[in-house]
Amino acid sequence: MGKEEILRSVRKNKPTLIPLPEINLDTFNETIDLLANFKEKVALVGGTIKELSALNEIDREITKLFPNARNIVDCTKSSSLGTVSISDKTQPQDLEGVDLAIIPGAFGVAENGAIWISDDRFPIRILPFITKELLIVLEKKNVCLHLHDAYELLSKRDRSFGVFVSGPSKTADIEQCLVIGAQGALSLTVVLV
Amino acid sequence: MNHAQKAEIFNKDEAKVNWHDKALWYVREKRDTAAHGVKGWEHLRDLASGIKAHVLSNLDEYLITFEKNAQKNGITVHWASNAEEHNKIVNKILADNNAKKVVKSKSMLTEECHLNPYLESKGIEVVDTDLGEYIVQIAKETPSHIVLPAIHKTKEEVDSLFQEHLGTTPSNGNPEYLTHEARKHLRAKFLEADAAITGVNFAIAETGGFVVCTNEGNADMGAHSAKIHIACMGMEKLIPKEAHLGIFLRLLARSATGQPITTYSSHFNKPGPESQMHIVIVDNGRTEQLSREDFRSSLHCIRCGACMNTCPIYRRSGGHSYDATIPGPIGSILSPGKDLTKHSSLPFASTLCGSCSNVCPVKINIHEQLYKWRQLITKDVKQPFIKKTILKMTGKVLSNPKLYGFGGRSVRFILKYAPRFLVYSKLNAWGKARELPKIKNGNFDQWYKEKRKN
Amino acid sequence: MRVGLFIPCYINQLYPQVAIATLEVLEKLGVDVYYPSGQTCCGQPLGNSGYEEDAKGACQVFVENFKEYDYIVGPSGSCIYHVKKHFDILEQTPDVIKVRNNAFELCEFIVKVLGKKDLGASFPYKVGLHKSCHGLRGLKLGSCSERMDAHYSTEEDLLAHVKGLELMSLTRKDECCGFGGTFAVFEEAISVKMGRDRIQDHLNNDVEVITGADHSCLMHLEGLVNRKKQPLRVMHIAEILNSSI
Repeated sequence: MGKEEILRSVRKNKPTLIPLPEINLDTFNETIDLLANFKEKVALVGGTIKELSALNEIDREITKLFPNARNIVDCTKSSSLGTVSISDKTQPQDLEGVDLAIIPGAFGVAENGAIWISDDRFPIRILPFITKELLIVLEKKNVCLHLHDAYELLSKRDRSFGVFVSGPSKTADIEQCLVIGAQGALSLTVVLV
Repeated sequence: MNHAQKAEIFNKDEAKVNWHDKALWYVREKRDTAAHGVKGWEHLRDLASGIKAHVLSNLDEYLITFEKNAQKNGITVHWASNAEEHNKIVNKILADNNAKKVVKSKSMLTEECHLNPYLESKGIEVVDTDLGEYIVQIAKETPSHIVLPAIHKTKEEVDSLFQEHLGTTPSNGNPEYLTHEARKHLRAKFLEADAAITGVNFAIAETGGFVVCTNEGNADMGAHSAKIHIACMGMEKLIPKEAHLGIFLRLLARSATGQPITTYSSHFNKPGPESQMHIVIVDNGRTEQLSREDFRSSLHCIRCGACMNTCPIYRRSGGHSYDATIPGPIGSILSPGKDLTKHSSLPFASTLCGSCSNVCPVKINIHEQLYKWRQLITKDVKQPFIKKTILKMTGKVLSNPKLYGFGGRSVRFILKYAPRFLVYSKLNAWGKARELPKIKNGNFDQWYKEKRKN
Repeated sequence: MRVGLFIPCYINQLYPQVAIATLEVLEKLGVDVYYPSGQTCCGQPLGNSGYEEDAKGACQVFVENFKEYDYIVGPSGSCIYHVKKHFDILEQTPDVIKVRNNAFELCEFIVKVLGKKDLGASFPYKVGLHKSCHGLRGLKLGSCSERMDAHYSTEEDLLAHVKGLELMSLTRKDECCGFGGTFAVFEEAISVKMGRDRIQDHLNNDVEVITGADHSCLMHLEGLVNRKKQPLRVMHIAEILNSSI
C-alpha cells in the first residue's frame, strides 16, 4: 500500500548521510570475576542460583527444589525426571499444566544476569514462558562480560527465535510494588555446572 | 483544557501528587544507580545517538534491506503511511484468517493509531496483556506513562476495578493477589487467542529480525500461543546491525526502570511452525518530522520513559495532563509535529531545566527542542491577546534603554506603593502563593551613580 | 583586563543589594570593573516565551553595551546562558561572537578565569545551595546528577572556603525549583508545588540560608518562603561571598 510513498517521503526529507560511529569496545572492557558478577546479577533480578559439582546431581537438586512438580519437561537430556514429552507437533495449549521446564542455556551475561536460550534447544517456543517454574542449566565457563560480547557469540547462529532471560517474569504496574510472577514463569532457577 | 489547567486540577490532591512524584523519582534514582554500574555509560549514549542519527540519514536504504531480509525468513512485511492504513492492514490480516480474538502486548504505536477501538468496531476482541495496560483498558482510560501505564492509579482503585471485571474478592489493594488474579484471567486469553499483536523495540536491517522487550512475558505468551503474530513498528525503530543491540539493550532497561536488562529480550527472526509472522512498518507523520532539522532527533527515541521519570513537571502534573499518546518531555516535542494547535501548550509545560536531555539514552536535546517549538508556536498558533501584547511590548521596551529606565522605575513604584489587594489580585498569578520582592528605595543604577564613577 | 558588569534587569530594579555585592566582590578581587549604563535585559524572558524574534533589539543593546570589554560578568547563570546559547539569532558579527564567548557567570569567572576560591569571606550559617538549572546543565557550573561524570561544583568550591559556613547536603541535589520565567505565571500550580518541594528539602536538611548563583530562582523561592513565613533566609551567593560576619 504505502511503501513507495513512504520511501519517496524518506528520500525527500532525510538529511545528508551521517557516518555510522566507530565502535571501540575497549571503552567497555573490565577485568572482573565473570561468574561472581553473573551470580550477583541473577540474584538481583530475582533468580535463584544453584551450583552443582557435577551434572548428575541435577535430579536430586530438582527433587529438593520442586518437590511438588509433576509435569516436568526436560530439554537437556540430563535429568531423568521429565514426565511430559513434547515435539514440534505439541500445541501451546497442551503445555498449560507444565510445572517445570528444564532448558539448556547457551551462555550467561555477567553485566545483567541474562541467559541466552533459543528454540533449537526447546522444540516449542512458548515453553520457557508458559511453564510455572523455569530451570536453566548453564555451564560455568559460559559466561561473558557484557552484551557486546554476547552478540559476538550470537553472530554466527541460525536465526529463528531466541531470548535473553533475566530472572522470573515480574511487574510493578500496581503502585510500583514489585510482584514476581506476572504472565511468564513464576520463578527462575539457574543451575550452574 | 491546556496543560496548565489540567495540571492545576491534578494538584488539588496534594497527597497524590506527592506519591506520584516520589514513585517516579524512585525510578529515576534506580536509573542513576544502574547507569553508575556501567563503565563507559556516557560513551554508550554517544554511540546510541550516533547510530540513530546515521539510520535516519539512510532510512530508505535500511527499510529496503530490512524488508528483503525479513521476507527471506518468511516474515510478511506491510507498509502503512498513516494510522488509518495501519489499522486497515491489521484488520485485513485478522479478517483473512478469520481471527476474532486478539491479545496485544504494549505498543505505543498502536495507541498512537487508536487500533483498539478500530478493531473493536469490526467485532474483534482485543485484550491488552501488559498488566498496566490491562488496568487502563478496563478502566476505559489511556496510559499515563509509556513504561508504567497505570502509574496514576492507586492500588485501591485497581482492587475495585478487578472486583468489577474479574470478580475478585476485596483485598485492600494487595498487589500480589491482584497480579495473580490478572495472570489467571490473562492465561485463558492467551491460550484462546487467534492472533497476537506486539510492538517492536528494535528492528535489525541486516537480519530482518526484531526484538521485543518485556518484564511480564506477555508479548511472548501471546506471540507463541497464537498462530498469527503481527508486530507493529514505527519506521524509526530500525538499527543497522544486530551487534548494535549490545548498545541499545544496555541502555534501554537501565534508563527505563533501573533494571540491568528487561526480563525477556525476545529475538524474532522466523515464524514458528504453522504460524504467520507479519510486520507493519508505519510512517504516520514520522517522515514529516524527519524533514524538520531542529526536531529530527526526536525520532531517536527508544521509548524508555526516563525523561518522564526525571521531569519535575511530569512528576507533579501526571501523564494525562499532556492529553497526548506520549506524555512528558519527549511527547511535548513529538506531539506538536502532529497537531501544532492541539498540542501548543505542551512545549510551555517545562522550565527548560534540561534534566530530560541529560537522562536521555539516545541524547535527544529535548529541552532545546521545546525552546524551538515555542518560537514556532507563537508564530503559527493564535496566542492569547494579552500575553502576546505584553511580550511584544516588552521586546520594544527592552530594546530601548530610555523607555526601559522609565518602565523599571514604574514597576518599582507600583510594587512599593500600590495597596496589597491590587498587587495580590486574582490577575496576578505570581502573588497567589508567593510574596513579591520587598522594594528597596532605589535601583542599582541610582546606587552606582551615587557611589561609583566610571 | 577590563570587565563589564552585567546586572540583569530584575536584579537592577528589585535586588540592588545583589548587584552591589557582585560589584564589591569583583573589586575586592582587584578586577577592573565597569558598569556600562543603558543596560536593559538579555532577552531571555522573551526567548523562553517563544518571542525570540522580538528579543533581537534587547540582544543588540546588550552587545553594544558590552562589546568593548574583555569579559562580561553577571550574577545570574540563566541570563549568561541565554547570551551564550541564544544570541545565535543575531548576525554573528565579530562583536556578537566576542560577547558570547566572553560572558561569564560570577562564580565561574572567579574560579575559572581568576583562579580564586578563597575570597576571605565568613558567614557562620548552615547554607543550602540551590543549583540553578541553566547554570548547572547549561553553563556546566557543576556535575549533574543525571550524568555519570566525576563530581565538581563551582559554587561549592567557593562556599567551601567561606569561614564558618556549613554547606548542608540536600536529598535532591539539583532538582529544578519551578521558576522557569513566565512558567512561574502560566503554569502557576506546578511552579508553586515545585518551589515548595525544593524549600521543604532545604528545611528537612536543617538549612538556615538558601543560596544560589541565579537570583531568579531565588526570587521565586523567597516569595514562597515569605508567604509561608518559613524560618529560612534567601541570599544570592555574591552576598555570602561578600560577607564578613
